Order: sequence, then C-alpha cells, then structure tokens
Amino acid sequence: MPALMELLRMTQQQASRIFAVFRQDTKNDPHVHVGEVHATDAEMALVLAKEQFARRDLCVNLWAVPMSAIAATAYDDADIFEPSTDKSYRFGGSYREQQRVMRTKRRDQR
Amino acid sequence: MSLAQSPLGRRDDLRAAFGGYLLALADDELVLGHRHSEWTGFAPDIESDVALSSVAQEEIGHARLFYERAGDLLGGTPDDLAYGRAPDGFRNAVLVERPNGDWGFTIVRMFLYDRADAVRLDALAGGPVEPLADLAKTLRREEKYHLLYGEQWLRRLAGASDEAHARIQGALDAAWPEAVGVFEPVEEERTVVESGIMTLDAAAQAERWRREVTAVLEELGLRVTEERGGPGGRSGTHSEDLTVLLGDMTEVWRAEPGATW
Repeated sequence: MPALMELLRMTQQQASRIFAVFRQDTKNDPHVHVGEVHATDAEMALVLAKEQFARRDLCVNLWAVPMSAIAATAYDDADIFEPSTDKSYRFGGSYREQQRVMRTKRRDQR
Repeated sequence: MSLAQSPLGRRDDLRAAFGGYLLALADDELVLGHRHSEWTGFAPDIESDVALSSVAQEEIGHARLFYERAGDLLGGTPDDLAYGRAPDGFRNAVLVERPNGDWGFTIVRMFLYDRADAVRLDALAGGPVEPLADLAKTLRREEKYHLLYGEQWLRRLAGASDEAHARIQGALDAAWPEAVGVFEPVEEERTVVESGIMTLDAAAQAERWRREVTAVLEELGLRVTEERGGPGGRSGTHSEDLTVLLGDMTEVWRAEPGATW
C-alpha cells in the first residue's frame, strides 16, 4: 500500500508539515475529512484548524493527522473498486433511507 | 436589565466613573482589533491570516459590546463613540496603537495584551453587577482562543532559530514598557474599585499578570526588562500612531457621518 505522500509526490518533510483535518459535528457523528492546514506540529495544526474549519458551523471535536501518516490506494488501481459482475443485491438502497432518518434523529438529540 | 437601570446606573458618580472605565476597555479592543485586521492578506501563511482576521473581528465585536454599555451610562451610540472622537478622547493603552511591525512583534504584543485582558475580565466576572459579570464571562470564552493562538505562536517563534529568538527578544524589549501601561489606572479607577464592581484593583491585576506572563517568558528563555512605561493612554496621551490609525479607520464614517446602508 503506497503512502499518500508518494501519490502526491511530496517529500517526507513536506508531508509531515501538512495535516489532514477531520471534523465531528456531534458526538454521534463520524469525523469527516474537511481539508488540510500547514503547521509545524500537531498542536499548532489544531489551533489553526479551529479557525479554518470550525468558525462557522458548530462542531464538537477536531482531529489533525500528518499527511505523512496516511496510507492510500493508488488511482491506477481504481479497477479494484469496480464490480465486474452484477452486485446490485449488495446495494441495500433502503439502508440509506434508514441512515438519513437515524441521522436526523441523532442531530435532534444534540 | 440594562446598566443604566442597575443600582450602579442610578448613581451619578458611579455612572461617569464606570462609563469611563468601559470606554478604556472598548478602546483597547477596537484599536488592537484594527491592528490585527491590517494583517488580512499579509500574514505569514493563509491559515494564520484567516485565524488572525477572525480574531480581529471578535475583538471589534467585543469593543462594540463595551461601547453599547458605555453608551448606556454616558450617552452615544457605539458608532459615535468609536468613530466620532478625537485621538485625545481615546483611553486605550499606547501598546495597542503601535504599528504591527513584524510578525514577532504582533505575536508578542498579542500574548502580553490578551493575558492582561484575561486578568481584567476575571476581575469583572467576579463582580456583583450582573449585566457586566455576565458580559465578562461571555467574552472570556472567546478570549480563550486568542490566548491559545498567541501563546502557541510565541512558543514556536521563541523556540525556532537563533534569529527568531533574537527577534522575539527584541519585540519583547519594545513591547514590555508599554504592556505594563495596560494597567495604568483610569482616572476614575478608585471609585470603580471602591464600589465593588471590580474585585481587584489595577495594581493587584498588574501583579497577577506580571507573575503569569513572566513564568511563560522565562520558560522560553526570554528576559524582561524592568523598565517602567510612562503614563499615557488611559488619560488620553497618545503617540502619533493613533492619529494615523484613526485617520484610516474613520475615513468612510467621516465622509458622511450618520449615513446608514
């Protein structure tokens, strides 16, 4: 599994100064990747991320992860995601509706 | 309950005294907020640019809240108070009117000022006049981030290269005498403290501030010069820097006073 920094053609030093930021809107939500900040270290990354990504919408928690720590699939290998036979039995479309309902419910409980 | 209706607002001597004190707080926040806003588009990186611009908006927002309450007691709208006074009517500390200089000076000043502001807000938050104590508590929540931002930047600059450390020491030497001036008592301070509105007088606040900031500065290998600042801001004695700043800041307002849009 290649490192993300290799895919982005960054050096280790560059990638360790860029932090991916993940924001959690409520304690019941997953952390969602919202962007990156440049910072010398993780503590400063969080200080900067607070104003970049949490100054408008409410949120309860932030994560900052150095890009150098992220492993990623290669876009060249994208065919591993493509089903070659009919897999529609796996789609479970109704689950999505259920997720939407549950999500609204959780928000109300904030 | 507005301030004017509070027990404080019903006594003439206290009205004037406390109105004057609030004006000093508002002027500090407005002038420093304006200085911070001058970094918009020019800060060392886009992240710090966005963050400091956001801090600038918050400081000016705090100024507005203080001006509203000062206006309750003394008369005048926040706009009249912010834009309609001559430089010698301003009561801000001279520290906050100084030009931004380099990023090091900006950060050192921010650290020293926000620490002083925190001590000041604590003294108000513990006081008996509810509308003011509540306001101080609200502002303290927002100031928490300002403190964090300034201190984390200071720690990194002071701990980086020799050149960075030397420039931070230089900025501290320049800022320190005027930072002490944040606690220069306003004329009416005695009345304000004796009334019990503030739980600590300026001298006690200054002592607490000095203890807190020197602990951090010493940890970072920075020296404090024990030079005393001259009297100034609180009595309306300012540098030419404030005149220039107000000239910029009030230019649009002066073109058509009272215009609304």
